[in-house]
Amino acid sequence: MRSPAAAIAWEFHRRHRWGMLALLAYLAVLAAIKVVVGHPVDFESEQTFALVVVVPMTATFLYFLGVFSFGLSGDLAARQSMYPARMFTLPVTTAALAGWPMLFGAAAMAVLWFATRFLAIWPSDKVVPMFWPALLAASLLAWTQALTWMPYPLPGLRVAVTMLWLGTFDAIVLIALEKKTPEPVMLAFLAPHVPIAYVAARWAVVRARRGETGTQGHRAARWRRGTLAYPTPARAQAWLEWRQHGRSLPLMVAILLPLELLLLFAFSEAPSIIFEILTVALLTPPAMAAFVAATVSGRVTPFLATRPMTSASLIGAKLKVAMWSTVIAWILVLAAIPIALRLSGTMPVVAGWAHDAVRILGLPRAVTLALLALALLVASTWKQLVQSLYIGMSGREWLVKASVFATLAILSVVLPVAHWLVQNRKAMAMLWNLFPWIAAVFIGVKLAVAVWIAGKLYDRGLVRRRTLIGAALGWDALVLALYALLAWSVPTLLFRAYFLVLVAMLAVPLVRLAAAPLALDWNRHR
Amino acid sequence: MNEPVIAVSELTRRFGATTALASVTLDVPRGGVYGLVGANGAGKTTLIKHILGLLCAESGSVRVFGRDPVADPVGVLSRIGYLSEENDLPGWMRVDELVRYSRAFYPAWDDAYAEELRRTFALDPAAKIKTLSKGQKARAGLLIALAYRPELLVLDEPSSGLDPIVRRDILGAILRTIADEGRTVLFSSHLLDEVEQVADHVTMIVRGTIALSAPLNELKETHRRGDAVPSLDEIFVAHVGTG
Repeated sequence: MRSPAAAIAWEFHRRHRWGMLALLAYLAVLAAIKVVVGHPVDFESEQTFALVVVVPMTATFLYFLGVFSFGLSGDLAARQSMYPARMFTLPVTTAALAGWPMLFGAAAMAVLWFATRFLAIWPSDKVVPMFWPALLAASLLAWTQALTWMPYPLPGLRVAVTMLWLGTFDAIVLIALEKKTPEPVMLAFLAPHVPIAYVAARWAVVRARRGETGTQGHRAARWRRGTLAYPTPARAQAWLEWRQHGRSLPLMVAILLPLELLLLFAFSEAPSIIFEILTVALLTPPAMAAFVAATVSGRVTPFLATRPMTSASLIGAKLKVAMWSTVIAWILVLAAIPIALRLSGTMPVVAGWAHDAVRILGLPRAVTLALLALALLVASTWKQLVQSLYIGMSGREWLVKASVFATLAILSVVLPVAHWLVQNRKAMAMLWNLFPWIAAVFIGVKLAVAVWIAGKLYDRGLVRRRTLIGAALGWDALVLALYALLAWSVPTLLFRAYFLVLVAMLAVPLVRLAAAPLALDWNRHR
Repeated sequence: MNEPVIAVSELTRRFGATTALASVTLDVPRGGVYGLVGANGAGKTTLIKHILGLLCAESGSVRVFGRDPVADPVGVLSRIGYLSEENDLPGWMRVDELVRYSRAFYPAWDDAYAEELRRTFALDPAAKIKTLSKGQKARAGLLIALAYRPELLVLDEPSSGLDPIVRRDILGAILRTIADEGRTVLFSSHLLDEVEQVADHVTMIVRGTIALSAPLNELKETHRRGDAVPSLDEIFVAHVGTG
């Protein structure tokens, strides 16, 4: 390799060659289908088109965002730049460090668009633009690079700033599309973004290269804790987990929530929009938890691996801190929403909905359903934080990548199939009849894997027999409690009792949580 | 009490096609300083990782204090002080937070001794680990490895790339540890002059096998030529060659 550009390109190729090969194979299949079919077709539905083209290409677009922003191996919630620090010592200008990954990324995005444009079979009723989607993809990547490479003064701020900026950018493009803006106008709007983002990215890398973490102005906020001792290793470990990952979720929620709730003031006269704003606000903690999850299950360093604690205790600290994060994030949500409703004058609208619910369902059932929905949201936030621990804690990069690919592959099949099912009454009825059997198979697999994991945990001395029995009883109790709540609150005309039992057994997490200590043990003692 | 602190028997470990350790057998009795020497890539760190339980024995066995470090990490690690060349202390912690965090794991933690070490090493309690120099980081790592007076101190290339003053501190810490009766130090290094200064017993590891293991004095005696007492460096070259 005779130039920094070639070296940087080689690194992208070497690290992501399997993903690129998979993409090439997919494009070859698309091209082959086009050659065989040979002309534009009328798709049965938009979902079929989505299944074949949109979902895989969107997944690839997101993958490229991760690859070229170095986001696949960095800590999204950290204050430090996500640009790999090892590259700062290369004898290369900062302009090159920022420029080459941006140029390669822009080229990859352009190739992705043109491949999709020319190789995929598009519905005959669609007018497919020529250039601007390539420029849009390159611009989105350039801004993602600039914003992820920037050091920030607070943990979690990167996610909030990036989501807000890219969300705004997307919204503008969607409005332009809605108004059928011609291609030259779209090109004129998008053209300046890559150069502007490059300037921002270069500044970000300059700051990161100087070692700035954005914390210089916040020294006064630090508070000393003296030399008070932690009473147990578990408390010390929980403190470490809290400092490393625990604050990210509440912080992200605290940053995003006011911005979301501010919209109540703008749309106080539109009940449907108020409903949407509240829905988004209530979904913020689980959505943000999905981002934070990657940091919770981050790398196990030798420093951590040599702590005299069992792998189960190390995982226990993570689970506990995830719970605190969840609780604090939800306290923020539950405190902020009533305040925002009152100040924006939208409280009567929501109170009206509550009265309607009470009138239709009765007070006890309405309250129970509301509490159940809240409990599910809280539990889902916690679950989002910890459900991928068993993958991250394994410390195997191939497993992490394989799980991402598997998830995307499953989603690209399941979502269109689910949409097709919803529209096909016959298939839906058949699925409904088969549901108990399908659920029974899933539960059988779930319990069999759980028993295998429990055996392994016990054999390896990771948990005691008493703990295993306690965990099994706890799971049974949760399933029973959920079933009881469902049986009481859901009309029995709609669902039979065994149906609710199956739902409860599927809903209460078991296998993935139990596998986390085993995965850590596998990583810790290779 | 005659049971060795470390008992490695027929330990073999491969990484793909590379054999990192081949049928290594090593007993480290209680008390004294054991120098583990060898060229870079000889297998020193792999052996130490097995002793800490960070690697599982593919074949053979590893026992530390009579326990399997993989099956009983708490029982083993709570009695070991460990400092490595990597020294991956969490950069976001302050020195006082590192001390406060670490002490929770070790019932025998000695606050007075920890404070004495902190002063000796001139560590600012309010300084963040990531702002410390490499030498200061090594000192911080040494502080938390020594402050509970571990029965076994494992140092994996601790002074690699450090200035002479920090290296002096590390050697001083070794001497201090063995001054406490019955404690053992396993000290891996490719800096043979350092090992020669403090080791009672030297084990030479070459391409994953134990080439030589004997008390230092005995080694010097057996390699003596007339009146000239050879240095460890010369003994090493005699066994391994210069390549």
